[in-house]
Amino acid sequence: MSTQTFTRTPIAPAKEDRPPAPPAARRRPNIHRVLSRVIVLAIAVVQVYPLVWLFLTSVRDEQDFASGNPFGLPTSFTLDNYARAFGQGDLGTYILNSLIVTAGADVLIVVCGMMGAYAIEVLGFRFSNAVRALFLIGIIVPVQIALVPLFIDYTRVDLLDTYPSMIIPLAGFSLPMALYLFSSFFAYIPRETYEAASLDGAGPYRIFARITLPMSVNTVVTVVMVNSIFIWNDFIFANTFVLSEDLKTIPLGLQNYIGAMGKTDWTATFAAVCVTVTPLLLVFLVLNKAMIYGLESGANKG
Amino acid sequence: MLPHRSKLSVAVFLLPPVLLYGAAVLLPIVQSLVLSFFSWDGITDMQFVGLSNYRHMLAGDSTFWTTFFNQLGYLAVCLTLQLGGGLAAASLLASLTRGREVLKVLYLLPAVISTLAIAFLFQRIYSMEPVGLLNGLLGAVGLDGLERPWLSDTDTALAAVSAPEGWRFVGLYTVILYAALLAVPREIEEAARLDGANQWQIFTRIRFPYIRPVWITTTIMATTYALRGFDIPYLLTNGGPGQASELITTYMYKTAFTSTDFGYASAMSVFIVIECLVAVSLILLVLRRKAV
Repeated sequence: MSTQTFTRTPIAPAKEDRPPAPPAARRRPNIHRVLSRVIVLAIAVVQVYPLVWLFLTSVRDEQDFASGNPFGLPTSFTLDNYARAFGQGDLGTYILNSLIVTAGADVLIVVCGMMGAYAIEVLGFRFSNAVRALFLIGIIVPVQIALVPLFIDYTRVDLLDTYPSMIIPLAGFSLPMALYLFSSFFAYIPRETYEAASLDGAGPYRIFARITLPMSVNTVVTVVMVNSIFIWNDFIFANTFVLSEDLKTIPLGLQNYIGAMGKTDWTATFAAVCVTVTPLLLVFLVLNKAMIYGLESGANKG
Repeated sequence: MLPHRSKLSVAVFLLPPVLLYGAAVLLPIVQSLVLSFFSWDGITDMQFVGLSNYRHMLAGDSTFWTTFFNQLGYLAVCLTLQLGGGLAAASLLASLTRGREVLKVLYLLPAVISTLAIAFLFQRIYSMEPVGLLNGLLGAVGLDGLERPWLSDTDTALAAVSAPEGWRFVGLYTVILYAALLAVPREIEEAARLDGANQWQIFTRIRFPYIRPVWITTTIMATTYALRGFDIPYLLTNGGPGQASELITTYMYKTAFTSTDFGYASAMSVFIVIECLVAVSLILLVLRRKAV
């Protein structure tokens, strides 16, 4: 893996917005400025409109949906689709399963990521650079490589069709990025803090519990936020390792809505999609700063 | 290094992550490598077949090469939308004075939605009967001739399954590249402007060289994500019609879990990993050399 692109990055304080454009540029609203504003808004429409359409469709009645006119406001408003969505599938179970898997994987990622980063970055040892490189390579390893071996291993140890069968690979493949984010942050904590604590007789465990852990709260939020999105939406591991109805996560459960009766009830399906998408969407809208910050500092140097 | 650390404490902290990573990532890589030299259906005895899986893959299986080139097409669409679109959007965002934070959040919204929801959404967007968003839009601007069932037309199926993947991460790359553009010192740009440089020259001579390290990172991210792309093609068309939108990843998945040919599927998964490593090396070779 490149040392240049994934070198350790001290996570700098959040970047301030650029100062406003100089007055010279502001005085004449030229064609470039107008054009760039139009394009920027057009991209926003392309990114957001399909999602708006999703929500609009979920409150249309079937006739309105079937009659076409994909644009414009619905001519009808009904919550009946939501009633049918809850009636057709076990939405509550799917959401609960997704919560369990996401929480389980997040805990593993945070605990293992912090401990690994602490060992490599703060404690240090002889082959720490080699171990770091080994973990970083994981960032580019495709998940497909693990499907067949894990399927076979799970059959042997009787883990197929359980929560851990999803949690272990989801956490394992997210660990490299988490470890990278934590090491970047730990490198940013001044050495003097540790040295002072050491002089006072604190050992590695106490320093971890009293200094590193409390200072990392923001990084934990970022790591959890970035990973939760991928885990909550995971399809491939769940689809491969889970068979029974009562363990299905949201992406698997939603599949039940397609062609269950030979014909797909699209408006009810869209209502179900809206129900499952909303929790994460709300969390994202509240905590998007943490996520955006994580993405930026993950890829940018400082 | 901490003065009071002991070998034991290093081991205590290192053990949990190494166990997790080893069990979920490292061990399966080794197992796939081993399995790729065997023929096994999961029930009867494993049979050592040497390189014959690889020989079949590279020389005997025309489906494999179809899926390989489909994957490259998928990659091309994703890179164009994500890196091209992301860079354009990031540059435009950086030139705005207001509303940038809100726009960043709006751009990122599709990245929060599950691939299943996106597959449902695009199934309706591409639909012909009833008229979906895309065909409706084409009809509205007078391009009725282009209307078609995008997912079941062999000419358009591959592009149709690639576009949603590209679309959903445009915001991700916009946000990353935007942060990089903000770090370009304004004084240098101003000085160049005073010297008479136009917008394009400022971009190619100052901004882009400055964000090159981040550009390399995003190129690696986008490329490796596209090479492992699976969900949306699998859900939207399941490779069809025929093999028009079959990717190596979906072909490998079917080989493993529909035909239960674990050995051949493992050989393909090893190929996907090698493909990613080669792609990363190429990116570093090409983009780094230009930097010197």
